[in-house]
Amino acid sequence: MNRRDGDTCSSTPDDSLAREERRLGWTLVAPALGVVLLVAIAPLAWTVWESFHHHDLRMPWLGRSFVGLANYRELLGTPRFWASLAHTAFFAVASVSLELILGLVLALAMQRASRGRALIRATVLVPWALPTVVAALLWRFLFQSDAGVVNAVLIAAGVLDQPVVWLAGTVTAWVPVILADVWKTTPFVALLLLAGLQGIDPTLHESAAIDGAGRWRVLTRITLPLLRPAILVALVFRTLDAIRVFDLIYVLTGGGPGTATEPVALYTFSALMQNLRFGYGAALSVTIFAVAFLLAVIYVRLLGADDGRGGSTT
Amino acid sequence: MTTWLRRGALAFILLLFAFPFYWAIVASLTPEASLFQAPSLVPRTLVLDHYRALFTERDFGTPIRNSLIVAGATTALCITLGTLAAYALARLRFRGRSAVLGALLAVTMFPQISIVSPLYILLRALHLLDTYPGLVLPYLTFAMPLTVWLLTTYFRQLPGELEDAARVDGASRWQTFTRVLLPLAMPGIATTAILTFIYCWNEFLFALSFTLGPERWTVPVAIALFRGQYQVPWGQILAAAVVATAPVAALVLAFQRRIVQGLTSGAVKG
Amino acid sequence: MDSLAAACRASFLLLVLGACGGGRADPRPVVTISGSAVGDEGAILRRQMDRFMELHPAVRVELRQTPDDASQRHQLYVQWLVARAEDPDVLQLDVVWTPEFAAAGWLSPLDRFAPEAAAFFPATIEANRWDGSLYAMPWFVDVGLLYRRTDLVPEAPVSLEMLPALARAAMAGAGAPGGPPPPAAGWVWQGARYEGLVTVYLEILTAHGGRIMDDSGRVVVDDPPGVDALTFMRDAIRRGVSPREVLTWHEEETRFAFQNGDAVFMRNWPYAAALLADSVRSQVAGRVGVSTIPAARGSGGRPASALGGAQLAINAHSDVPDLAWLLVSFLTAPEQMLERAEAVGQLPPRPALYDDARLAAALPLGVRVAREAVASAVPRPVTPLWSELSERLQIALHSALAGQVEPGPALHTAAADMNALLERSGLRYGMNAP
Repeated sequence: MNRRDGDTCSSTPDDSLAREERRLGWTLVAPALGVVLLVAIAPLAWTVWESFHHHDLRMPWLGRSFVGLANYRELLGTPRFWASLAHTAFFAVASVSLELILGLVLALAMQRASRGRALIRATVLVPWALPTVVAALLWRFLFQSDAGVVNAVLIAAGVLDQPVVWLAGTVTAWVPVILADVWKTTPFVALLLLAGLQGIDPTLHESAAIDGAGRWRVLTRITLPLLRPAILVALVFRTLDAIRVFDLIYVLTGGGPGTATEPVALYTFSALMQNLRFGYGAALSVTIFAVAFLLAVIYVRLLGADDGRGGSTT
Repeated sequence: MTTWLRRGALAFILLLFAFPFYWAIVASLTPEASLFQAPSLVPRTLVLDHYRALFTERDFGTPIRNSLIVAGATTALCITLGTLAAYALARLRFRGRSAVLGALLAVTMFPQISIVSPLYILLRALHLLDTYPGLVLPYLTFAMPLTVWLLTTYFRQLPGELEDAARVDGASRWQTFTRVLLPLAMPGIATTAILTFIYCWNEFLFALSFTLGPERWTVPVAIALFRGQYQVPWGQILAAAVVATAPVAALVLAFQRRIVQGLTSGAVKG
Repeated sequence: MDSLAAACRASFLLLVLGACGGGRADPRPVVTISGSAVGDEGAILRRQMDRFMELHPAVRVELRQTPDDASQRHQLYVQWLVARAEDPDVLQLDVVWTPEFAAAGWLSPLDRFAPEAAAFFPATIEANRWDGSLYAMPWFVDVGLLYRRTDLVPEAPVSLEMLPALARAAMAGAGAPGGPPPPAAGWVWQGARYEGLVTVYLEILTAHGGRIMDDSGRVVVDDPPGVDALTFMRDAIRRGVSPREVLTWHEEETRFAFQNGDAVFMRNWPYAAALLADSVRSQVAGRVGVSTIPAARGSGGRPASALGGAQLAINAHSDVPDLAWLLVSFLTAPEQMLERAEAVGQLPPRPALYDDARLAAALPLGVRVAREAVASAVPRPVTPLWSELSERLQIALHSALAGQVEPGPALHTAAADMNALLERSGLRYGMNAP
């Protein structure tokens, strides 16, 4: 990502100083890097290797044999896998787009708010900071069928005649799931976008206003294009989080009704930790990883094309 | 007029954000018997029963202690090793450092689930399942890259002049680091520590997979696996939710400005 | 530098804590048992543990808490046993887990202790056998029962078709004069996506003359009786006899609805009888009748109760297997079983106890109904793959009940999946390890 480092390094005039700096650099980086290699990279490599094996702790008599791509073939032929992939994609698109829109509204409002900014920040930061498990439980409580406040409010407002059993419907079960995610992560998006907004030169807006541009034109022609880097960053972080979604759905719906809200991570968890199919589960894991990685690469390309800052101050 | 409209809209959004908390707090103070009657916005009777039950019947103190130890130890380890690495990555010039940064960034994109089974087997072989180190080690997978990444951003923002001046005075690289840069970076290190702590406090999947019972459950696992003999004990669950949120909420409220800077600068730089 | 120093201190603390987790002052050997540890069930178990320690002062028994939700408990057990943990020594198992855990080599065979298997109901012993050896002792038996409000439905339905008809009539009736309005729900049952749903389905399936597996070990839930049974359950929801909420309900939610007078019929286990008869907590005390689920007319089906219940098994990696057996045989002795029946209404798996006057006094549902239900109870297939097979069945049932798929296609997919799984396992007839 940063193309300049290597060249600067080799062109340093004083070779011994450069060598010393390199040695110190690697010495300091080594412990942290070693830890990451041990606990993250090595397990991932193992997962890839495992995915080529038949390894089922439930059936010890079958042993652990190399089966090539058989697990992947099985996965591609399993409707539940494709359904879970579709659920993940749906969840990611629905929640992330809502979060971006609401986050933008919130960021614009916060930027103009002259007073009480600390209060606003505090109110929206707490949902971001609390455990996802807690958020999921709060929303399950709000959406209970018999004594849930959502049903009570909707009935009082005349929208519903009788309580809806939200978690029993294949479509309605998504409502608390997506709302909980939006509630929890919109603040993060809003704060990112607010930081982006604050970086925009205010004179641009003023001159546009003098030229007689309406608010909407200023927003679409000036603010949004300038905000693009911040929007992209928010998009990257949120999408990568959304396709890994686990805690929220595990606690809120358990993937049900049936498997109507089951994302890939939950399907993988059930294959691994409930059915103990380590080989097949590994193939699923590798697939999620590949999808996440692919998206990340695409996004980084988009980002890189957009801003040439690199990461270095040297 | 539009100002009022905008203020009104903002106030409405804030109310929506605050409402679930308000509701959880009210419900956690409502007696079990009236919890399932028609909900009312203003509580009628408030009792501390659920909180008392949480600590007497449920021993909720144990998960809190576990979470504090695991999140605290992970944060401490990450900050120690991460500060060294971040200094090198931000301030020293050596071949391969962008590759290191890239690798760390890639690790933050890992779906946790993809390394659950190898970590499980590794921890089992090391006899670390259901121990504190057996949670700290997996937590490093997401906490270490996060820490290094955030700290590298901080170190880059520090002015270079003081460092140069110290080196002209004959200080070694290491001395410049410990005497000049480190004190300057303390606010950033503190912010990073808070963020890392929050991430560890909230972690669920690893804690669910690598602990074997209530003695080592962390707060999120304990809450998620809460079921009583008599239906879902909502009163206690919500009381637990309030207790679990309190530490992170306190951290956020106390350090909100810094946390926002940490979140956004780390992200925007990334 | 302060935070660095603090960091060092904390990592040191971590190492120390990790290293000295095992220090114990009490020199007695410890037997740990895991199981239901809350409420009345927890209380009776603790009382019996204390008595055991009085009898055997040289042993200490510790209770390890587990989640009450069966799926969560199963997952936790699997994690323990895969990790080859030595504790808990004694495991409370669901009836369908024994073959799975035994085949995986996680349980210690009990034959060397010469258990008195002949003193138990044969079905309960068969469910705990794997590959010729006995791996767990029946602790209490569960059978699915149909509870009804005798003030609204005096006589138990004699055919399955009568169930929705009677329920609807009672819901539409005036209720008792001057009393509360008639119940809003006709028939409540366990419809959440978990093992309990499979047991409800098994009863309706048997009532329609169907089976989960045929004699050759093939899954046949997509045969006509299987589809009819699921359609019957789906239509109960669709026609308002069963509330849609049942799709999120476990045992306790159904009991609460029934106990508060909100349901005409309830499918539940025997434990509910004692709680429903308690006039302090229950609004329907004295107005509850119990029967088995009746057969569907003209289907060749029979009245059926699903066989459930808890077993006690010994961890294969236990460091104190002999003491563990001592505890198992104590807890499964007649005296403790009677006490358990008296305290929480759980049925003993020993037929001889059904002639005991203490049991007759302890069971509000009547000792004859209980004995008949146990003797005719239908087991789920005995196979180590049950958890995974059941998961597929649960998904199919739940999707069809939620209206996502029609019963026929849902069961067809499930049956195909389940048969493919059995084939892949190499288990002949789904029964024995090759």
